[in-house]
Amino acid sequence: MEITLTHYLLLAAAVFLTGMVGFVVRRNAIVMLMCIELMLCAVNIVFAAFSRVHGDGGGHVFVLMNFAVAAAEAAIGLAILVEIFRRRRTVNVDELKALME
Amino acid sequence: MEGFLFWVCGSLMFLGGLMMVVQRNAVVSAVWLIFSFVCAAGIYALLAAPFLAVLQVLVYAGAIMVLFLFVIMMLQGPVLEGERVYLRKWLWPAVALPPGAIALMLVGWLRSEGFQSLGTVANPDFGSPEAVSRLLLGKYLLAFELISIVLLVAIIGALAVGKAERKMPWK
Repeated sequence: MEITLTHYLLLAAAVFLTGMVGFVVRRNAIVMLMCIELMLCAVNIVFAAFSRVHGDGGGHVFVLMNFAVAAAEAAIGLAILVEIFRRRRTVNVDELKALME
Repeated sequence: MEGFLFWVCGSLMFLGGLMMVVQRNAVVSAVWLIFSFVCAAGIYALLAAPFLAVLQVLVYAGAIMVLFLFVIMMLQGPVLEGERVYLRKWLWPAVALPPGAIALMLVGWLRSEGFQSLGTVANPDFGSPEAVSRLLLGKYLLAFELISIVLLVAIIGALAVGKAERKMPWK
């Protein structure tokens, strides 16, 4: 059976949903950041698939942009987490509710 | 052959993501995520994007995930005590709605477009480092410069957050 564009879209949707559900279910802030990385990766696959279909390299360029965004997000998010851990001694998002009280 | 590689890479990538969510140990989660990213590099190679495949392994599986592993090891140990596996009741609609919306969209796509063929790559140079670089430094130069500002802001932000209480040169 020929592999079509729809196969790649279904794969990306499945991976994106895994990341999305993981983000809501997990309470460990580091794992939640990793779930965001997984969702960004799924988006990259959609970019690359449509780039391949249209024969236009623009999608590849924006995958590179997404790499930069993912790196920036990981750097800032982990810096914030390390700082939170220094003050509160936990990365459990259930116990971090200073803004709720 | 392409179909076989797609099913292998795709299912392993999905499995990696799934195991990352299911595993309680954060180090094991991170290693599964690296596995998933390496399989994603295979998917890029199948999509005629060899440059992206190399960068995926270098940047994602290499740099970003090493940063994650480093921070996990530095913090409170890999397993988070008291991490709940169940959800509060009001969260269930929030979990169920977005997947439902995406599934609906996919059904709509399948009904309108069906299984659209990928077609053949007209340009043999498609996806090579040279072709991507020509676009990056030509047509998309403005976006390229703007993304460098994003990275600069991220560097400054990470430094400022990491040194919040200690003496900073501008304080």
